[in-house]
Amino acid sequence: MASDRAQARSAYVLDVRDLLISYHTAAGPLRAVNGVSFFLRPGERLGLVGESGSGKTTTALGLMRLLQEPAVIEGGEVLLDGVDLLRLSEEEMRLRRFADISLIPQGAMNSLNPMMKVGEQLRDTIRAHQKRRESRVIIDTRIREVLQSVELHASVMDSYPHELSGGMKQRVCIAMAILLNPKVIIADEPTSALDVVVQRQVMLTLRRVQEALGASVILVGHDMGLMAQFVDRVGVMYGGKLVEVGPVRGIFKDPLHPYTQLLIKSLPNLQTKEDFHGIPGLTPSLLAPPSGCMFHPRCPQAVQRCSIDVPILAEVRPDRWSSCHLYDGRQP
Amino acid sequence: MKSLLEAQNVTKIFGSGLLSKGRTVAVDGVSLIVNEDKPAITAIAGESGSGKTTLARLLLGVIQPTSGSILYRGRSLTSMDHRARTEFRRQVQAIFQDPYEAYNPVYKVDQTLTTPVRKFRLTHSREEAHQRIEESLRMAGLRPEETLGRYPHQLSGGQRQRIMVARALLLNPRVILADEPVSMVDASLRATILESLVRLKRELGISLIYITHDLTTAYQISQNIYVLYRGSTVEVGSVDKVIRDPRHPYTRLLVSSIPLPDPDMQWGGESEIETRASATSASLREIRGCKFSNRCPYVTAECLQDRPPLYLTDDDRAVACYQYKDSTQVSGREMAESLARN
Repeated sequence: MASDRAQARSAYVLDVRDLLISYHTAAGPLRAVNGVSFFLRPGERLGLVGESGSGKTTTALGLMRLLQEPAVIEGGEVLLDGVDLLRLSEEEMRLRRFADISLIPQGAMNSLNPMMKVGEQLRDTIRAHQKRRESRVIIDTRIREVLQSVELHASVMDSYPHELSGGMKQRVCIAMAILLNPKVIIADEPTSALDVVVQRQVMLTLRRVQEALGASVILVGHDMGLMAQFVDRVGVMYGGKLVEVGPVRGIFKDPLHPYTQLLIKSLPNLQTKEDFHGIPGLTPSLLAPPSGCMFHPRCPQAVQRCSIDVPILAEVRPDRWSSCHLYDGRQP
Repeated sequence: MKSLLEAQNVTKIFGSGLLSKGRTVAVDGVSLIVNEDKPAITAIAGESGSGKTTLARLLLGVIQPTSGSILYRGRSLTSMDHRARTEFRRQVQAIFQDPYEAYNPVYKVDQTLTTPVRKFRLTHSREEAHQRIEESLRMAGLRPEETLGRYPHQLSGGQRQRIMVARALLLNPRVILADEPVSMVDASLRATILESLVRLKRELGISLIYITHDLTTAYQISQNIYVLYRGSTVEVGSVDKVIRDPRHPYTRLLVSSIPLPDPDMQWGGESEIETRASATSASLREIRGCKFSNRCPYVTAECLQDRPPLYLTDDDRAVACYQYKDSTQVSGREMAESLARN
């Protein structure tokens, strides 16, 4: 059994264990990511969903080691093909970014350098990761290939970012993220600034190139609709913790954690009208988090124990993980 | 029917008028009516560049139309005297997208609420003012003791947005224009805010104009919807017709692009209506006919000639598309009137 587990773990492309990230603020330390563990299978699309302050973006940036002061990674492991990214030197990590794990950042289209032509920015990305200098012809062939795969004409290489539409800029960012064939692509709200029509087109492109590449994707966001359309599995974050992880259909049709249940119920649909189910109460303050379960002050199913014991994320059914005392003692 | 707030064939052109090059037609001959006798929620939906926010600003009297007029109780905003205009400013309130920007961060949120009370001389005493503020906070679903005396950053986004609702309510308005009121708010709070908007209509008889890019929430709370594309109404009618069974190729594209929160209702690999090319502003200027013609898969020679009028495809829906030219033609104004009545 234990060796089966170990074998399963070695099959994961990314294995995150007990990630702890704090912001050291003037008002005291704030634990934004509080013991997050999850894994990513090869070729899989995983969604990390949560409301503002749930820790989803901090987790994403933490995996890339792109956090800035006052955020500090205080513990855990981020195993990419068995190598702990958190133990690498800064230079080793730099070489892994884009090559092994890449990020499409939030508001990615504004992350392009406005003073530099698109082609030059893409060339830089390749050059920064090369041990020996390749000829410009070879580099440009690769860039053209990648631009074509995200449905952009090679002529955008000669454009400045401001000459492109939002959707086109977003495609450039996808091109940059896949340029060096990474194993993992992290997309942090990649389409939040785009209109629905363009959003759909960009997400379908991302899915197509990811499948062609055989890469895995972590989609970070708050839009449950996008999750339902795009990912294979969903991890739901609340107050810096993962409260539930499971296959997308299970999360939407049969959510286990009370927070996920309320979240799914709150979503508007095109079947019913004026049928509102907001979640009462407020998101927890991370400076003064509640005792026990982070969700207990808002949870309709809370019992006394929920305000005392911190629940642990456990596999309560095959491939269904939940951190809630309701499922204690139901390990498979 | 008594028309409370009305856009009468309104057009707004930005930029220099002489050369067509620098001109942008932001709103192009739009008519819309809010019925005084029958409170309703009317959605104005469209993507960026559709002109929905410009239309909102026109309806608020913040900017003047290039042609056509905005009428409040039958009087044009431009011909109003000072008193009528003050009355208009009190009775037509707005709620905007980002509640944080509407606050002064160095003042407590109380100031946001006491200013309109003072400005419009709504009450006679400080005590009465306080009572009225607490009452409107409660109507917006807030507990006054958890809200007053705080700074904007001490409240959640949902609370800040509901204070804006409370602020609008203070003035006892007849119409509230809500411009993307929930697009910056987390999912769990979104439902709560939408619910409070619906309650305003149901319990206080306030009409709402709900401006959004999100057809799902428009379907949730509105009765009628105007779908705008590059400043023109392309489809207008009851939300049941327009959103559940869209007819205009653009509306169909929009509806099929909604990421529904249901893994069993997947986006198709290719949309039924795939756009041919993304519209560039250059090609758009040359379009005499339908503005969607350069993206439309059903385009015919006719579409390139003249702008299509609205055709009445159902009792409660009209579509600006030549595919429906066998139906009766209807003017925007007639359609607005018939929707406001029902």
